[in-house]
Amino acid sequence: MADDEDPKEYRWETGYEKTWEAIKEDDDGFLEASVAEIIQRAKRKRQQNKQVNSKLGMMRHLYVILDCSDAMSAQDLKPTRLLCTLKILENFIEEFFDQNPISQMGIIIMHNKRAEKICDLGGNFRKYIKTVNGLTKTALIGEPSLQNGLELALKSLKLLPSHASREILVIMGSLTTCDPSDINKTISSLKHEGVRCSVVGLAAEVHVCRQLANETGGVYNVILDDSHFKDLLYQQVDPPPAAVCLESSLIKMGFPHQMIVEGTEEPLTMCMCHVDSSEEGSKLTTGGYYCPQCYSKYCELPVECRSCGLTLVSAPHLARSYHHLFPAASYREMEFDNQSLNCFACQKVFLETDKQIYSCSNCEQYFCLDCDIFVHDILHTCPGCATNPTTFQMFQS
Amino acid sequence: MNFELSSDRVTETSPLDETSLLVIILDTNPGQRILRENPHILTQCTDSVIAFANAHLMQKAQNKLAIMACHSKISEFVYPGPGKPLDIRQVDGQYEVFTLVEKTVKQNLMKVLTSETSTVYTESLLAGAIAMALCYIARILRTKTPGLKINSRILTVTGSSDSASQYMNYMNVFFTAQKQSVVIDVCALDQHLSLLQQGCDITSGLYLRIPQIQGLLQYLLWVFLPEPPVRQKLVLPPPVKVDYRAACFCHRELIDVGYVCSVCLSIFCKFSPICTTCQ
Repeated sequence: MADDEDPKEYRWETGYEKTWEAIKEDDDGFLEASVAEIIQRAKRKRQQNKQVNSKLGMMRHLYVILDCSDAMSAQDLKPTRLLCTLKILENFIEEFFDQNPISQMGIIIMHNKRAEKICDLGGNFRKYIKTVNGLTKTALIGEPSLQNGLELALKSLKLLPSHASREILVIMGSLTTCDPSDINKTISSLKHEGVRCSVVGLAAEVHVCRQLANETGGVYNVILDDSHFKDLLYQQVDPPPAAVCLESSLIKMGFPHQMIVEGTEEPLTMCMCHVDSSEEGSKLTTGGYYCPQCYSKYCELPVECRSCGLTLVSAPHLARSYHHLFPAASYREMEFDNQSLNCFACQKVFLETDKQIYSCSNCEQYFCLDCDIFVHDILHTCPGCATNPTTFQMFQS
Repeated sequence: MNFELSSDRVTETSPLDETSLLVIILDTNPGQRILRENPHILTQCTDSVIAFANAHLMQKAQNKLAIMACHSKISEFVYPGPGKPLDIRQVDGQYEVFTLVEKTVKQNLMKVLTSETSTVYTESLLAGAIAMALCYIARILRTKTPGLKINSRILTVTGSSDSASQYMNYMNVFFTAQKQSVVIDVCALDQHLSLLQQGCDITSGLYLRIPQIQGLLQYLLWVFLPEPPVRQKLVLPPPVKVDYRAACFCHRELIDVGYVCSVCLSIFCKFSPICTTCQ
């Protein structure tokens, strides 16, 4: 089968790769250091590929379409494909909402040729984790239907306003799909609506998935093992570049604050989030967040007000997303030649074994590899630039 | 008999496996109002902080300590300082580590203070200092022996005010601390610090603005010495309600309902068809 859109040659056609030569033993004959180095290099490479200051779709609406067909009971991932996927998905959900606090997620499962929406779009990650945990007992039967799943997601993504970034993430274990009609029509309507579809394959490359991802601007990957699976899924945590048709517009949001009147006791009130849940009913409590428009109370933010529909957030939630837009300056790699005694940030003394050190192009301080990864993966603030008034001022202007 | 022995061993080892790492950030910027009015206060603050640090080390032999000075232009670790530790002999029967802490801190602090040149920035870059502390803590956690549990926290002692210009850096360090479960405590000597107060709330640390600087040591020992797991059992100042409202980018006023750009997340108090920040 000719793969026209993909110029990559087949594995058996490529040159002879001596993959084992990349791994070198250290002085004691261990391989660990060498493997760790390869992983860290890969991390660095990914960081450098991040584009700076491009427009990003910050308000993401993501549907996760999960294959719950017969193929998911295979045991090539331990203990089974489904259980392994659910565990990784659980961590992914937590990370997703941590990095994109004002985004929404929904979950659809495909089994027995049908698609079923088990979670509507929403922002409460605890609910999703609970649902995902509940999926462990799902009956894995029949074939999945990719088309039904996509159509169901599209039906609800269609209704979203134009500023929302629409995405679908398919986790596909099966190599086949059982569709009612022509899937190419679904793909073109997804493309028309600007829905970005990414697929993670658990088995082998499938042409229709590749086409779906290529047409809609998503990525398609097939996993090697469980850690690679995790890696691929976590790539979806960072917000994608804004689609061309994505409009930027201003959205009305509420910033609730506690109602405190000096000298008076806070009133006992009930919250709206638990008012109709049967398991844990709403209790009379003080505190909580009040919608500035209709004064309904909520225990947690961010949330969409149930009575007036206003999105309620707190300022730190917005600030949590700023680092995607203003990432820390990337560091230059250089040979260690006694430029500095120790790492500026963590005070680690540079030894002969540290072959490479890293230097920030703004503040000219030197850092070790671990700090380089820590700063760009988690901290998002260069300690050198943030403690130096001159570079700090430069950064502000 | 055997059973008793083994249970004994469990109770013996479990507290040993849990230690506490404290990083103290002392704001030594001479531009602070209290230091401009009375420079001697710095000596008092330093003494109080050293006494507090020693009290922390005294609680458990395995407890770890680092002290940073946040100066107007640089932030530096003053304990453990760069290079080899000082050679200390026992003085007056005092525990050698205490003498080492005091000598090292004073010596390195003097270096920091004398490096001062004429231009003084009044703003202390505390967010950067906290970022360095987080990197330091991350390294300690990376290199710790497996199985050992380290509770880490950062105590900031400052008399300067916080400014909105560091907002993004502050938020980045607060969320990183939250993720790494590092507690941020703040002891404000002079002004009320609303940004750092938010940080304490996010990382479930304590914020205290002390009414009298003479009592600094007593406040430190009373409020900040107990470890976070112990704190819930103590009667400490109640947590204050933190105002998380956003300030609009156009007038810098706190708003209840605002308009947020979907691409760059700028906040405005009035609706306009296009966002002025990204277009």
